[in-house]
Amino acid sequence: MTSLMARFRRLCAARIAVAALACMLAGGNLARADTPRLPGFIHDGTLTVCTNPTLPPMTFVNGTDMKAVDGIDMDIAHALAAYWHVTLAITTMDFTGLFPSLAAGRCGLVASGIIQLPQRERNFDAVAYQDTALVIVARAGTRPLGGMAELSGRKVAVQAGTSYSARLAQENAALVAAGHAPMIIQQYPTEEEVVQQVLIGRAFALASQDVELAYRREQLHGRVGVIFTPPYPEYRHFALYIRKDAHDRALLEHAIAILRDNGQMAAIAQKWAITPDATQALGGSAPAPAFRWGTFFGALTSAAFMRGAFITLAVAVLSHLTAIIISIPMALVLNGRESLLRTGVTAYVALFRGAPTLLQLLFIWNALPQFLPFFREAWFTPFLATWLALSINESAYQVEINRAALAAIDPAQALAGDALGLSRGQVYRHVIFPQALRIALPPTINAFISLLKTTSLASVISVQELLAVTQIQVARTFEFTEYYAAALVYYLAMVFFFLLVQKRVERRFAWADQYGAGTHAS
Amino acid sequence: MHPEPDTVLSIRNLSRLYKDFIALDRISLDVKRGEKVVVLGPSGSGKSTLIRCLNRIESHDSGSLHINGQPITARTDLTRLRALVGLVFQDYNLFPHLCVLDNCTLAPRLVRKMPRAQAEALAMRFLQQVNIAGQAGKYPIQLSGGQQQRVAIARALCMQPEIMLFDEPTAALDPEAVSGVATIMNDLAAQGITTLCVTHEMRFARHVADRIVFMDQGQIMEITPPEQFFTNPQTTRARDFLNQMIG
Repeated sequence: MTSLMARFRRLCAARIAVAALACMLAGGNLARADTPRLPGFIHDGTLTVCTNPTLPPMTFVNGTDMKAVDGIDMDIAHALAAYWHVTLAITTMDFTGLFPSLAAGRCGLVASGIIQLPQRERNFDAVAYQDTALVIVARAGTRPLGGMAELSGRKVAVQAGTSYSARLAQENAALVAAGHAPMIIQQYPTEEEVVQQVLIGRAFALASQDVELAYRREQLHGRVGVIFTPPYPEYRHFALYIRKDAHDRALLEHAIAILRDNGQMAAIAQKWAITPDATQALGGSAPAPAFRWGTFFGALTSAAFMRGAFITLAVAVLSHLTAIIISIPMALVLNGRESLLRTGVTAYVALFRGAPTLLQLLFIWNALPQFLPFFREAWFTPFLATWLALSINESAYQVEINRAALAAIDPAQALAGDALGLSRGQVYRHVIFPQALRIALPPTINAFISLLKTTSLASVISVQELLAVTQIQVARTFEFTEYYAAALVYYLAMVFFFLLVQKRVERRFAWADQYGAGTHAS
Repeated sequence: MHPEPDTVLSIRNLSRLYKDFIALDRISLDVKRGEKVVVLGPSGSGKSTLIRCLNRIESHDSGSLHINGQPITARTDLTRLRALVGLVFQDYNLFPHLCVLDNCTLAPRLVRKMPRAQAEALAMRFLQQVNIAGQAGKYPIQLSGGQQQRVAIARALCMQPEIMLFDEPTAALDPEAVSGVATIMNDLAAQGITTLCVTHEMRFARHVADRIVFMDQGQIMEITPPEQFFTNPQTTRARDFLNQMIG
């Protein structure tokens, strides 16, 4: 670890010296104010940068304002936008969504602390901007390793979707070929979860890169340390990714070179690198308190959590209302005579009840724009995509609730309406629906509560709902228990509120209860 | 055949088929305004089908049907027809989610666009007529069968029909309630409302009917005044039927 830090400092010191010089030269260059040529991934004067802000110090939410993404990558993004004289738009999303979004044209550029790898460069162009190294990290006090083979049979945690997991798999193949037991690789969606597995002792070690770990040390109170740096020559650079285009790539390389020459890159590295003071503090590892009440109450009352809860609620309510509206005609069709339409509705229900909700969400967000360019445009926000996906998904469940409720109404009720001269619409509106509602209500509220929790899937496509907010805050602070507890309180409060609503509404159905009805009617 | 001027309902050769089963077989019948006609016959004889055809809850396949001289066909405005011809079901079919008063006001408000206050005043008048006004605020589930039947009658009357059809109105009632329904029918006739009633209740039929229509196997076997029908039926089938019902 110390050697790592030394390397860091050396690097920075060298850069600063160059930077000072470059700045003077660059100042002259900039004064000429020749507007640089814009790459093709900039549209309408806007550079759209996608990032998964859970990887400090590269990209992360550095505070309780969920919109303020900070870090080296963001500073570079700002510097690039300033260099090209364009507006910067930052889109946050789950790590696994980054490359599909880049391919779908939703991002111009991905800056998310991603390693430059040949296999990625087969599909995308990469421009390196920051040195790094892959390291194996374990709890403080663990004996350093002599080689990767010593991890044989051990549990190793790694972030899902990253190149590290692929590299470890490659290492495992070598272990097996050599007659050793493979490493047990555990993949987690976020980096802080990976670190937590080591902290709580579930995993022996984790694979990550040095830059983040150096930054994380402050939060980790020296509880982890590097035990091995495998000699992987290909894991040396963080890169910015763009869609394949030689011309754009050259322009981006040129821009990074300019930033390097004029000292901006060095200044950014200086800003985020660990200071010598912080390194000193690593020695004393003060044990963290079991539960930080201040963090918990701070989270409960924070604008970020309230906004997250509001988005969760909005997504759930809008999706369920839409689902109910589209499922009523479908239920009528299903209860009706054999027809082509009924076959179609049956297929719809089978498809959307059968496919996992997460898959539907990812399909609508990432795959749909590939054959319908209409969905690539800016109006199609993650919120709309979630609304669409969850409405369709929920309607497939709701249609069964509605169908059963409508089928439970005695056909003689419709006949009685007919005999009084009511139109078909009036019969449904005033006779059948009010009675079906009583039957459908309890399972509907049940389905809604389930949906309220399903909305957490939307974090995958960058909707900042309650769980996404929680995870980003955990990534920033490593205070798992406190933020999880705050999220739990929010979810429970919302669920209990709707159970209360259900009780209230059920009281209005006193007509179905011979004894209860007496108290209602007077 | 030319129906007499005060004929409200004129049925000619009316037939109704269910696939290959003949439910109604060339039925012909004229009913005068204010008349009380009781339709008797064994189960499956087509009694209920006949009265359901009269307000097109079911439709006939051939023959003709005239109400107030107007032909009733597939093109007839059902809303207007059903305002003219009320139907009371055997199982009452009250709307369980509405209180007695709302059961009665629903159709006048929706179909006749009557303001709520006016509809409620009308409903209370008919609820009083059937002697159930005291229960106006209750829900159907809180009422006895006889009470529900009276509400069903009041609900149909609220559309102020000229003809009232009763489909076995007494089937689920105790004897006291049966005589209550008979009283109501006599009242209706006094107001000039024509009633057609399907029943299995012989005493009720004898007490209420101006004429008995006896049906068997989709056909009308005989149409006679009640005294004659119960003492000296013209057909063997009617005689057998009466023997079965009484014996």
